[in-house]
Amino acid sequence: MSEKDKPPADGQDPALEWAKLWQTMAESSNRMVEAWSGSMAPFMLARLSEKPAGFGDGNELSAAIERMVQGPRLADVWDIDRKIALAFSAWIEMRPRLASYNAVASAPWTEASKRFLETMSAAGTSETSTPDWREAFAKWSEISNEELIRNQRTDGFLQAQKELLQAGLQLRSRQDDVAETASVMFGLPTRRDFDDVTRQLTELRREVRALARQVRDRKGEGAL
Amino acid sequence: MSDQENQASRFARDMAANAEKIFKATKLIANTRDEDVSIGTTPKHLVMRRDKVELFHYEPVAEATARTPVLLAYGLIGRYTMADLQPDRSLVRSLLSKGLDLWLIDWGQPGRTERWLTIDDYVDDYIDAAVDRIAQETGHHKITLLGICEGGVFTTCYAALHPQKVKNLVITITPIDFHADIKDKAAHHGFLNIWTRSLDPEDIDKLVDTYGVLPGEFMSSVFSMMTPMRSLAKYNVDLIDVVDDEAKFMNFLRMEKWLADRPHHPGEAAKQWLKDLYQENRLVEGSFVLSGRQVDLKSIAAPVLNIFALDDHIIPPDCSRALGAKIGSKDYTEIPLPGGHVGLFVSSKSQGKLSQSIADWLLACDANPVSEA
Repeated sequence: MSEKDKPPADGQDPALEWAKLWQTMAESSNRMVEAWSGSMAPFMLARLSEKPAGFGDGNELSAAIERMVQGPRLADVWDIDRKIALAFSAWIEMRPRLASYNAVASAPWTEASKRFLETMSAAGTSETSTPDWREAFAKWSEISNEELIRNQRTDGFLQAQKELLQAGLQLRSRQDDVAETASVMFGLPTRRDFDDVTRQLTELRREVRALARQVRDRKGEGAL
Repeated sequence: MSDQENQASRFARDMAANAEKIFKATKLIANTRDEDVSIGTTPKHLVMRRDKVELFHYEPVAEATARTPVLLAYGLIGRYTMADLQPDRSLVRSLLSKGLDLWLIDWGQPGRTERWLTIDDYVDDYIDAAVDRIAQETGHHKITLLGICEGGVFTTCYAALHPQKVKNLVITITPIDFHADIKDKAAHHGFLNIWTRSLDPEDIDKLVDTYGVLPGEFMSSVFSMMTPMRSLAKYNVDLIDVVDDEAKFMNFLRMEKWLADRPHHPGEAAKQWLKDLYQENRLVEGSFVLSGRQVDLKSIAAPVLNIFALDDHIIPPDCSRALGAKIGSKDYTEIPLPGGHVGLFVSSKSQGKLSQSIADWLLACDANPVSEA
């Protein structure tokens, strides 16, 4: 039996062990914060104070961060530092994509409102009685649906939603990189480890089943 | 009182009534527990489990009419419970009441663990294992496959790759030509096709590689975009309409439960679904390959029944209709039915026609002694 497999010695308090583990994790976490605030943060905060509304302004800031963190890796600079910066840069990149998408997606409401008002005005002046709320809502729904669907099929909409999706995926992927690095720091298995294991499991299962089929087929041939 | 005053007072009265109904709906929802809303309740028993996939056999409810067992396969986008939403709107119950021997393959709830599963695994492993097991249990060498939506693509591929095991093929609301939406002039049809083609193949890879799956919530949001006002009015105007009728209110909640139960699509299979089929249209082009073998639709030798919905906004009718010209079988029947993608199964009007069409066709096939070889 190896040392680590041995049961805890008498008098070893699991709560105490847990407290020690927690303390170690907390210390690691503090080191992470220190590393972060000791390098990138002052730069970013300084730039933010220079241009508080200009994050999406040509994405100068995200481009600067990208350039900085894409440089050579230094042995004594924490990798998580670089990854947090990249995630931050992806977040900045996503903001204008979201704004563009919102602008394109909300455009048809103006046309829908215009058409609806024209329809209701025409109904108000006709001999028939003024529509009640349900009839008015049905008309509003029909017109808005037409305009929204028409808009969704335009190149502008499709391009805006594609760029938003790309930016969102980039952000998510960089957040995952941060989470992976943190997991490694705490000695936890990462998402990539899990994917590797499931890949091996899936491939192994395929091989076993192919062999089982071969055996079955051979038995079937033998029985003939 | 002037006309304007009349209108104002009518509007105020209606809005007060609506506010009262919304309040009532809120109370009703708060007092209804999830377990009170049951779907997929037709009795069945588990016959086989393979990973997360389960094969069930439905309990018969009528004297057997058709001899050949029928295997129902839904797609990986959504769950089979759409075919068994509630007792009076259930394709499953309806087919059982007509004396069919019905089996179900349930894909379960795929997650990141199933990231590496491909359509090859679903067709050549899971469906094949289910077919073999049904054959073993019933003594039939060939069975009938009944595919719904993506499940229709899986069963079509299976019928092409394993024609010796398929007696009849029934597909419903199934895309075959993924680019046929281009011919469809209805503005609300085929957004899914257009949206998928607007993406770069690398976007799909990145989506799957990032999440490990095609997330169910993501697909739900794409589907909501296809009926924008319906999605916006669902929890207000639609609720007002059903709140005074308990049966309608429960129908509403069952539908919501089905919509909320949208599993993740296994990652690698999603790449094939979106890139090979939606973007590159490989099934009709004859270049779709599963387990190293080309899926040749001309190899489908079994009689085929193809049912689609004329107002299907998700799978435009022409996308389904394409099968007729591509298969080898001369015994091909096409039944276009009024209704939409989901309405075909859950609306009280159309699902009666759907089950009757399937049962009549299968009974006629069983009466033909040629096909059981």
